[in-house]
Amino acid sequence: MSKCQFEDLIDGYLLNKLSERDKEAFEEHYFNCHSCFQKLQERDIIIRTIKSNPALLTQEQAETRSPILETLKREVASLFTVKQLALAGVTAALLLVVVLAIIPRQQAPAPNFFLSDEETVRGSSITLISPVIDMNQIPTSFEWKKLGENIEYQISIFNHELLWKATTRENRITLPDEVKARMIPGEKYSWQVKAFGPDGTLIAVSSKVQFKIAAQ
Amino acid sequence: MTDRLDRDIQDLVVRYRPIIAFRVRKALGTQNTDCDDLVSEILSQVLEKLQSGEFRGDSSLGTFVYTITSRRIVDYIREKTKVMKFAPEPEPFPDPQETLEAKEMSDRVKKALSRLKPKYRQVLYLYYYQELSREELASELGVSTRKVSELVNYALKLIRKELKS
Repeated sequence: MSKCQFEDLIDGYLLNKLSERDKEAFEEHYFNCHSCFQKLQERDIIIRTIKSNPALLTQEQAETRSPILETLKREVASLFTVKQLALAGVTAALLLVVVLAIIPRQQAPAPNFFLSDEETVRGSSITLISPVIDMNQIPTSFEWKKLGENIEYQISIFNHELLWKATTRENRITLPDEVKARMIPGEKYSWQVKAFGPDGTLIAVSSKVQFKIAAQ
Repeated sequence: MTDRLDRDIQDLVVRYRPIIAFRVRKALGTQNTDCDDLVSEILSQVLEKLQSGEFRGDSSLGTFVYTITSRRIVDYIREKTKVMKFAPEPEPFPDPQETLEAKEMSDRVKKALSRLKPKYRQVLYLYYYQELSREELASELGVSTRKVSELVNYALKLIRKELKS
């Protein structure tokens, strides 16, 4: 079937893009040209189907054998053997376990910070109970509020410098006689308690409280 | 003699009815219920005029039928606008459902479209759905207009193959 010169007008006619003159000329033509009319009918169905179902052309259809997808699949398949794929899967799973389960557990429950003996910090605190005011005599014991179970407390007593340091799991401590002997009435002292968790991390620090022992 | 005339009439109807129907539907929209009546009316007008000797062979028979069809369509629209002020605007691209044949063809086209390679689908989408010109499509795809025509024609060829199978 030789090509009719009017054939090129088919799309323009159906998409309403022709000038009025071309449109009429083409209409007259297809009343006379059987070949053009057949093509026109066919093209009309094609265009209306496209206009009514654009998704057919824009969607990637899973069921169609898309050549690009097929090639990609084949390439991936040739890159990895089944064993390698399985290994990759197991590795990924292990990594996931490490990221989701192990790493968070390793994190300390409280911030890791270190203090020199002269420093105080804000934050989680220990309330000191006694002595917090001036004393008539050298105190025999020191007491503070309990923070919880399984906590180790470190008590430090200062005059101008560190006088005594001790650790206990109780929330009170009795001052040993040899420390008492070094404390002098009329002098000012201060004390502080630090709390450590089971793994040795500092979890709380009290403020430094000063007391004066009355002169005799 | 009457037998021959009957056969001629038959041939004429078989040949021109679909063309007239196409022209009428294009002008009025497939949803218009007057279409079938109008097509029948045009056909009988053609036969009448042929029998009364109005067709003298100055033009081709096709042009003669075309002229009658166009006039009747213009008349119809004029009648409608008298009553409704505006002629009903036909839906531009109705889903092919008007006849069983159109529906079947459309189903085949759908099947063919879904089997096309992505590059042909893209070209058809831009050219027929978005109505980009061949020139616009060429610059969009970074190819020559000749290449665009080739792509469109090849995609149509693939669809036609499905329609004929």
